[in-house]
Amino acid sequence: MAKHLYFNLRKEFKNHLFDYLLFITAGMFFLILLNIFRGQRTIEFCVLVSFAFFYIIWGVYHHIINETLHLKIVVEYILIAFIMIFLLKIIILP
Amino acid sequence: MEKIKTFIHHLFIPHEENNFRAKSLHTDFLTVYLVIAFLMMIAFKQGNIHNVLGFATDISVDKLYQLTNEQRQKNNLSSLVLSSVLSLAAQRKAENMFQENYWSHYSPDGKTPWDFILGVGYKYEYAGENLAKNFLFSNGVVDAWMNSTAHRDNLLKKEYTEVGFAIVNGILNGEQTTLVVQEFGKPMVAGETTQNIPTISETKPIVEKKPEQIVAQKIIQPKINPLNFIFNLNIIFIIFLLLALAFDFYFASKFNIIRIAGKNTVHILFIVFILIGLFISAIGTII
Repeated sequence: MAKHLYFNLRKEFKNHLFDYLLFITAGMFFLILLNIFRGQRTIEFCVLVSFAFFYIIWGVYHHIINETLHLKIVVEYILIAFIMIFLLKIIILP
Repeated sequence: MEKIKTFIHHLFIPHEENNFRAKSLHTDFLTVYLVIAFLMMIAFKQGNIHNVLGFATDISVDKLYQLTNEQRQKNNLSSLVLSSVLSLAAQRKAENMFQENYWSHYSPDGKTPWDFILGVGYKYEYAGENLAKNFLFSNGVVDAWMNSTAHRDNLLKKEYTEVGFAIVNGILNGEQTTLVVQEFGKPMVAGETTQNIPTISETKPIVEKKPEQIVAQKIIQPKINPLNFIFNLNIIFIIFLLLALAFDFYFASKFNIIRIAGKNTVHILFIVFILIGLFISAIGTII
C-alpha cells in the first residue's frame, strides 16, 4: 500500500539530498536557537521569521535548480511561511 | 452524504477536477488560511487589552499551588499552606523586578529576597524563592522547577510550611514579560531567632516592626483562558495542514501525478519544525 510512497520519498530525498540536508540543518538550528533564547520573546520571534524566510528562499532556490520555478510556487511558499509566522506570533508575542 | 464525500474527496485528494492538487492546498485556500491566521492574531491582541491578569499565559496561583503540593505529596512531604503574607512579598518582589528592570534573585541596589519577605512582616525560620518568566502554562513552570536540582530542592524542602505566589505582567528589558515568583517560608515561633536561609549564607536581623495588615489578594481568573484556546486552535490548524499535505503527497505518489506545485515534503518538514518550535516557545526560563 505504501510502497509507492516509500519509493517516491526515497527518490525525492536521493535526488535532492543536499537540498534536504540543508533544510534539515537549518531546521535544527532553528530549534536550537529557540531553545537557547527560551523566554526572550523578541529574539524567539526574530528566529522564527528568519527560518520562515529561509524556507521561502530554499523553495525558490530548489525550484530554480530543478527548472520548475513558477510564480504560483513562490506564492505557495510565501503563504505557508506567513500562515506559520502569524500562528506562532500569537504564542510568542501575544 | 454523497455531497459531503465528494467535497472531502475534492478537498484532500488530487484529481482532474481540482487540477491534480488537493483543493485545501490551492493558493486561494491558502490565502483564506492566511487571512484567518491574521484575524486570529489581531483578535487575540485586541482581546488581551481588557484582560488584566496574565493575558499572555494560562498560569494561575491556584494551579501552581495545587501542582506544588502534588509534588511534595509525591515525595512524602507535608503540604504547604498558602500564605497571603508570602504572596504579598512575592507580589512586591515581582513589581520591584519590573520597576528596577532586572531578572535575578538580587536587585541591582542589593535587595535580597529576604528583604521582601521581612518587608511584609513575615518573620521566618526558613525561607526560599523560585522565579520563572515567560511560561505559558502552570504545569510548565512547576515541571521546569522540578527538572532543576536547586529549584527542586527548594520546592521539596521539608522545613517549609507555607508558600506564596505572584504572577505579574509588565515590561522587562523592553519585552512584555510574565513573571512568576514563588516564596517559601516557615514562620518563626515567638522567642526564636532567624536561623536558616537557604541559598544564602548570611543571616538577617529580625525586623522589629508590627506586621502590616495584609489584605488577601483577590485572584481574578477568566473562565476560559484565551491563550489555552488559541494554543489548541493553532495545533488543530497545523495538524489540518499537515494532513492535507500528507494526503496530497500520498495520492500524487500513488497516481504518479506530475504538476506545478511546491514540494510537499519540505512543506511538511517546515510545519513539523514549527510545531516543535511551538512547544519550545511554551517553555520559559527559571532562576
